[in-house]
Amino acid sequence: MDKIDISLNINDKPFEVRVAPNDTLLEVLRDQLDLTGSKESCGEGVCGSCTVHMDDKPVRSCLTLALEAQGCNIKTVEGLANGDDLSDLQQSFIDHGAVQCGFCTPGMLMSADALLKSNPSPNEETTRKALSGNICRCTGYAKIVEAVCHAANPHDRCPDCKTDNNSGE
Amino acid sequence: MSDYTIIGKRMPRVDSRAKVMGKAKFTADLKLPGMLVGKIKRSPYAHARILNIDTSKALALPGVKAIVTGKDTEGVKWGVFAYTRDQQFIQTEKARYIGDEVAGVAAVDEETALKALDLINVTYEELPAVFDPMAAMASQTELIHEEFPNNINIHVNIDTGHVDENFEKSYYIREDTFVAPEESYFQAEPYAVLARFDHDDCLEVWCPNGGPHMKSKPLSNSFKIPLHKVKIRKIAIGGAFGGRSEICPADYICALLAKKTNCPVKIVFTREENTIATRQGHAMITTHKTGVDKEGRVLARETTCYMDGGAYSSTGPIATSVPFLSMEQAYRMGSVRYNGYRVYTNKPIRGMIRVHGRGFACGLDTQLDMIAEHLGIDPVEMRLRNSRQPGEYTSTKSYVDSCAMDETIHKAVEASGWKEKWGKLPPFHGIGIGTNSVQTGFPMGIRGGSQSFIKFNEDGEATVMSGVVDNGQGNDNMLVQIAAEELGLLPEDIHLVSADTETTSSDPGSYSQVSTFVGGHAVKIAAANCREKLFEVASKILKVDPGNLAAKNRMIFVKDNPEKCVPIKKVVRVSLLNFNSVNAEGGYWPKVDMKREWVSNPYGQMCEAFSFGTTIVEVKVDPDTGQVEVLQATAAQDVGYALNPLVLEGQFEGSVAMGGQGGMLTEYHEWKDGRCLNPTMLDYKLPLACDMPKIKNIIVESLDPKGPYGAKEAGMSIAMSAAQGYSAAVSNAIGVHMDSFPLTPDKILAAIKKKKSKAD
Repeated sequence: MDKIDISLNINDKPFEVRVAPNDTLLEVLRDQLDLTGSKESCGEGVCGSCTVHMDDKPVRSCLTLALEAQGCNIKTVEGLANGDDLSDLQQSFIDHGAVQCGFCTPGMLMSADALLKSNPSPNEETTRKALSGNICRCTGYAKIVEAVCHAANPHDRCPDCKTDNNSGE
Repeated sequence: MSDYTIIGKRMPRVDSRAKVMGKAKFTADLKLPGMLVGKIKRSPYAHARILNIDTSKALALPGVKAIVTGKDTEGVKWGVFAYTRDQQFIQTEKARYIGDEVAGVAAVDEETALKALDLINVTYEELPAVFDPMAAMASQTELIHEEFPNNINIHVNIDTGHVDENFEKSYYIREDTFVAPEESYFQAEPYAVLARFDHDDCLEVWCPNGGPHMKSKPLSNSFKIPLHKVKIRKIAIGGAFGGRSEICPADYICALLAKKTNCPVKIVFTREENTIATRQGHAMITTHKTGVDKEGRVLARETTCYMDGGAYSSTGPIATSVPFLSMEQAYRMGSVRYNGYRVYTNKPIRGMIRVHGRGFACGLDTQLDMIAEHLGIDPVEMRLRNSRQPGEYTSTKSYVDSCAMDETIHKAVEASGWKEKWGKLPPFHGIGIGTNSVQTGFPMGIRGGSQSFIKFNEDGEATVMSGVVDNGQGNDNMLVQIAAEELGLLPEDIHLVSADTETTSSDPGSYSQVSTFVGGHAVKIAAANCREKLFEVASKILKVDPGNLAAKNRMIFVKDNPEKCVPIKKVVRVSLLNFNSVNAEGGYWPKVDMKREWVSNPYGQMCEAFSFGTTIVEVKVDPDTGQVEVLQATAAQDVGYALNPLVLEGQFEGSVAMGGQGGMLTEYHEWKDGRCLNPTMLDYKLPLACDMPKIKNIIVESLDPKGPYGAKEAGMSIAMSAAQGYSAAVSNAIGVHMDSFPLTPDKILAAIKKKKSKAD
């Protein structure tokens, strides 16, 4: 198949890439642009490890063609932090022990980040529902859910939230 | 309260920052200059003789750089034990399961490699195949391995004596059979391996592993190169759960392709390959016969288990033993006879898995509940009457030192509200208890110990070298916490060099739940030795006896006069100016019975410590759909000492998900003629965030006298007991003792219907 030159806007930077019509966004991110934070785990849109944002909406980059991503603002896990400054969500994942092997973490963060954009204080049920397209084999989800719920709203009684009343000790 | 500074604290993991930023590199993320793509050609037949392999068309395809077949392997066979060497990395004579390796290709890109696989022409003669262990033992057709009669791969026989006479003395005897099909790991990361030969002809390999030294030895053997020429490198690992321990044929094939092409080669498995061609859990048929006295104390037990081992031995002798061992550790049995048979079938290879033996353990616990019901005893009381106590020996003569089994039961009972709920819940609402025990280590001969090296740098920070691997459970953080505590540094002052065979000493790996107990222990001893050297120097600076010194927050100070202190950095520099570098080593070898052997002598000290766990689960069953809603899981484990409660809770919660929610409700494989019908995440039902119940974690500490800070295995007793707790709760809810696991809606509905028709 003939390859096509396209431009993609990823993490607020423009990239020129040459893609085949059947190249997925995930393949282009990982293989051409070395943005390997997004992972392939199931390859069929089930596990959510490859989740990225297209215009603030979470999508499966393994089921999205690179061609479809033209003209969109694409955000990957590499774009969540501001340089070395982690987002509240990323810091919350660390503080709450929500990361074990870390393979599902990038996709989980992207789904959670999209949730928090539409609902900054989700309750547990909403969070569990929003994350149900992301499979984690290590954590049993409890600490992930807590990390998301507490990201923008630290809880005084949570031993892992760093609040004024609670230094996290 | 302990006076530790860093140990015992809820410390966020040192590896998590790189992981939340997407910076952590897993094997599939790696790229090397000139790297080729490797792919594996697999058998489409469950049992077939390989008559001919024609690679000429594939080799002619532009972009194909090399093809390897069994001819390149010199027919070397691999096995974990000398007596289980039954697997070639690429088959030369016959394929024994759908997915068996027959050839490997290296090409410039994936598309070309896949085309080349199709162009390799293999001529097979199909042979009759067997897919069930009972049929396999009775089969009159060609054996799967000719040197194993009746297709019996492993037979473990344990007999404490007095079994028959104790059955005679029993007040009540039951015999029940329990079955469970295969389950799979579904690690988030599909298996991947990158290999190259460097300028010194050293083989360099990156791959997920349960212990780098477990990978280097078989590669050294098969390439006939010294161990120091095999460099397994550290890499982030996306989960293991027991499924990354052994050498994988792909490791060898990848290295062989790298050798042939003189280029780096990377193989990344598809999800299907990860399910079919790594390892799976064993399907099991288990019969427990138990005799008790009037009070429900077990006097005699006879257990016979048939395990579907698939096509090759893998860790067969261990796999055949561990389900029994976990139960003999958890429960006292007056006398016991065990016969475990691992049988070859033409199905994928089975290995150790986090919840190995769910049918075995759930069966045993279900039967205890049946006996309790018959005798009118509460299930909790039934367990307390048979639970393991400290200071006892197991049936196979392992001394049990620390043991807080009863405390896990009492605390779980209290936290779950058992007393208010048992026997008082409305119809189709149930509560159940499971208890289990897991080994902290296996006898592993010369690879049973670990050694660590520590060196101080002139800036007062330390480099710690250890063979321990982190599969995702937090072992890196564990090592850093221990080193920082012992050296009086902060975690960020520790640079960890680990899981690399070039720089670290032999280590048992994360296999057998022993990383903290052995590898962490070695780091603790090395760091304590290093601290002694610091104190020697500091004592001269501070003019006090080294015995009066302590170290904390980068300072060495006088214990009863903390104002009198000196920075560790200064101590290191003073030492260097006095012609002494500050470094040390330390090792730990558990005192197990080296004569104990899985098959030939299954008696003696198994390991130095055992964990004990109890999980109580509460469920509601929908009688119209058979769907189970799990309301709450209460998980209590004796972990010895909690080095990091934050990490531990994560292990408990993950264990409830894999052992209970998945292992007992939704996870199993389906088959047609040896072909797995659900190898993907779409078809194999893994627990999701919305499925999980509220989990109450209870950490019980028994301070093991041998463990580092008193710590021992942490989390596995929950994975196992969660399965038992889930099955007991469902059985309680529907009023039927289930004997076929996992408890899927079809089985639950059938049981409800059967019970109803009996009642009518």
